[in-house]
Amino acid sequence: MSGLAAPLQKVRATFLRDARLMMSYRLAFVLEFFAVVASVAGLWFVSKLVPPSAAFGGGHVATYFEYALVNVAFVTLQTAALQSFENSIRNDQVFGTLEAVLATPTNVSLVVLAAGAWAFTLAFFQVGLTLAFGSLFGLNFNHVNLGALAAFVVLAITATVPLGVISAAIIVRFKQGTPTQFILNRAATLLAGVLFPVSLLPLWLQACSWLLPITHALNGIRGAFHGATVGDMASDATWLAVATILLLPLSLLAFRSAVERAKFDGTLGQY
Amino acid sequence: MPADYLEVDQLTKTFPTAVGLFPWVRNIGRIERRVALDDVSFGVRGGELFGVVGANGAGKSTILRIVAGLVVPDRGTVRVDGIDARTAPLAVRRKVVLCCTDDRSFYYRLTARRNLEYFGTMAGLDGARLRGRIAEVVRLVDLTDDLDRRFDAFSSGMKQRLGIARGLLGDPELLILDEPTRAVDPVHAASIRGFVRNELVGRRGKTVVLATNLLEEAWELCDRIAVLRRGRVAAIGSPAALGVGPDAVRYAITIDGADDALLARTRAVPGVIDLAIDADGACAHLRVVLDSEPRTLTELLRAVSANGICVRSIRPEERRPADVFADLISERSQ
Repeated sequence: MSGLAAPLQKVRATFLRDARLMMSYRLAFVLEFFAVVASVAGLWFVSKLVPPSAAFGGGHVATYFEYALVNVAFVTLQTAALQSFENSIRNDQVFGTLEAVLATPTNVSLVVLAAGAWAFTLAFFQVGLTLAFGSLFGLNFNHVNLGALAAFVVLAITATVPLGVISAAIIVRFKQGTPTQFILNRAATLLAGVLFPVSLLPLWLQACSWLLPITHALNGIRGAFHGATVGDMASDATWLAVATILLLPLSLLAFRSAVERAKFDGTLGQY
Repeated sequence: MPADYLEVDQLTKTFPTAVGLFPWVRNIGRIERRVALDDVSFGVRGGELFGVVGANGAGKSTILRIVAGLVVPDRGTVRVDGIDARTAPLAVRRKVVLCCTDDRSFYYRLTARRNLEYFGTMAGLDGARLRGRIAEVVRLVDLTDDLDRRFDAFSSGMKQRLGIARGLLGDPELLILDEPTRAVDPVHAASIRGFVRNELVGRRGKTVVLATNLLEEAWELCDRIAVLRRGRVAAIGSPAALGVGPDAVRYAITIDGADDALLARTRAVPGVIDLAIDADGACAHLRVVLDSEPRTLTELLRAVSANGICVRSIRPEERRPADVFADLISERSQ
């Protein structure tokens, strides 16, 4: 193998490994999809209590179901970004396979990035399933700008992946569950406008909300669902692109440094 | 190829006594470190089977893990085929494989085939070449019929053998085996030893570094052995040079007296591997290690009696490798 083929083969091998491991726990795998159905149905019933509002549609009147379902669906991508790298590295620590993987002639950046391949695929499937079930409950796709949607999905992933890689670096370095996932997932629910519009928050919390990548990602994705273009949401797109450019190299550097430090302390295989 | 395929030069390694976030915060800048290796140097020639033995905590695994790139030394260098492991780690990892025979180094819920496919791809193989290598290595370790069984259904011996098979996937030049027969029944242990000696080193010309607590295993298999004591190399040489193995015999000889000239004469006799003298009044006691040539003893006795010194008694000494090992790792031994 040479050039790009070798890294891609390694990503594929890691994807297949994680898929096979997850599917070896059949019940948990099936329950993931029941959770999606339950979530969609739950939001539909809650939306019966909330009248349609322009606050849900960025100027257009939209239902709460439409607003919350799109947010909940796409926040799955953030959860995958935050959890997949850390969970995969943590599992390898606990299984005892981390040293065996890192003893192979594979760049450590590739090891950690490949760890997200299966989780993101699963997350995309869950997003699709959520939206598909949503359509059964009346979710309208008539105005979706697919180009803008694809752009913001990619930006949402690339801007949140570094946070997950940093989380994995903390696990390698300190062997303890990191607060990153908890803080960001809770912060997303509270501050990023997943369940209610950011405009309802006090101004100082709106400022905190602006710092989260998921806020801009959800703004863009919701806008795309209402037909907005990337140009219409240039500030959100720019924020996400800049965050990606700044954070991705930094996060990979942090992970490499954590691995080197663990090798120096002799704690690579410990958990 | 350089004279030594593996060069370990002045390795020193310390480990922190506490790890984790809270010790780090509490003791920032002043976490104590314990010495695991202290100025360890040795070389391993290409095609050699080199043993590393020592008591628990002597530093065997630390050396192996530094060579495999899993631990970074505080000081010192490791070169494989002339390549510095610190400056070109990926190049070194293509030449060196640590055969993790620890059964926790595999994915329990995957079959042996799926495990080998994953690790083989990570070692740089794919497609037909990967499938061919898997078929070849499992045949070598006699696991062909078990390839599609889940790893958690394997016995200890099968897990060890699969660890060796995984190590061989990338066809590395240097294999590092950390206690390859641990937890294996005697029949399979003998099979693994035969495989390492005859197949890996004998037929395929691989360089093997083997760490073991089973001393007979080291004496039986290895061309040379490094004995570690508290992170330092206490002795290094062939089993015969260390005074054990089939090529060495020991004698305790009592003579009338001894002087420096006697010592010089006897040490100069060809075939004398080691000689120690202990004076006791009018008598002196020689403890000698000789090669297995019968005439070496004759030549030694001739050298002893050259100045008219009488030999009072001569007695062969039976020493098991474990006794020699105990001597070598004891604090009194120098």
